[in-house]
Order: sequence, then C-alpha cells, then structure tokens
Amino acid sequence: MRIAQVIGTVTLSRPHPTLLAGRFLIAVPASLRALSSKSDADGEEVIVWDDLGAGFGSWIGISEGVEATMPFRPARKPLDAYCACILDHIHLDLPTVREVLP
Amino acid sequence: MQLARIVGQAISSTYHRSLQGWRLLVAQPLDKNHRPDGEPLLVIDYLGASTGSVVIISNDGQGARELVGDNNSPVRWFVLGLRD
Repeated sequence: MRIAQVIGTVTLSRPHPTLLAGRFLIAVPASLRALSSKSDADGEEVIVWDDLGAGFGSWIGISEGVEATMPFRPARKPLDAYCACILDHIHLDLPTVREVLP
Repeated sequence: MQLARIVGQAISSTYHRSLQGWRLLVAQPLDKNHRPDGEPLLVIDYLGASTGSVVIISNDGQGARELVGDNNSPVRWFVLGLRD
C-alpha cells in the first residue's frame, strides 16, 4: 500500500454499472522526502475507491493492482486503487530517513 | 521480493477488517545500491522488524491474503524476512 493524501473527490456521471454506489477520492501518493519534510504529497494523482469515508487532507493507505478488487470478491469491479486504511499517525525515524535519502 | 528499509510505523484506527491487529510499518524499497526505489510502502509485519532494519518485503497478494487469513483482504506487501 502506498501512502497518499486525499485532495478531493470525483463524481461519476455514467460509470460502469458495478461502480454506481462508489465514493471516489483523488489521492496523491507521497515520496519519502515529502513525508519526512511534512510537505504536501508529490506523486501523481490516483482515483481511489473509498469505503471508509476518508476526509479531505487525510492520509490514507491505497492498495493497488488486483488486490484493490479483492474486498469485493466474488463480485468483480474494474478498480485498481482501493482505500485500505485511514492513517491517524505516521511516525518516521528521522535518523534512518536521513541515512536512506541521498 | 525486494530489499527495503523500515523507516517508521503508521497507526490507523479505520481500516479494512483484515488488517485488524497487524503492525503497519513504513518501508522504503531500496535498489541494489541501497538507494530509495519508488515511494515508501505500508507493509504488514509479523516478524517484529525494528525501525532502521533492512528487510525483504514481498508483494505476493496470494501470500499476503493467506497470511492475514482473509481472501477478501486488499493487503499486498508484507515483511518476508529480516536481513542479518
């Protein structure tokens, strides 16, 4: 799961039938540099199916790939990003981060 | 499978039921020169990996689902081994 920040939501007008009841977030994944410098996420936006009700600005864990569709099995949904958790706190060990970041 | 460095932990009180009780670590995948390779990942851990340690993480979804015992789990990355 990548760590991403919620910046908005998306409303679908004519979705695939299985996506009708969905709530979709716009989430931006964060690099280690962004996370450790407490600045905003810097990745490329991802549209994420959300069951947990993540609010704007909250940090979430997004499961991607086929694992994003597993919660709905045996039903099938054409998804590739799913909000698996809403993060209350991310603790980073700064000495380790300094060692890892060039 | 990939080498990764545990750079921290994450705490969540709202999550998919299959994550109940699992430690969520923040792991930074490393390339062969031990430099960051992509974004940090949330991985589940049952081996007790400590912050700062180098571990092997796996993205085998089937293995992760068996690990958490829930075939509907969205979890994918987990700590497979601790490097000495």
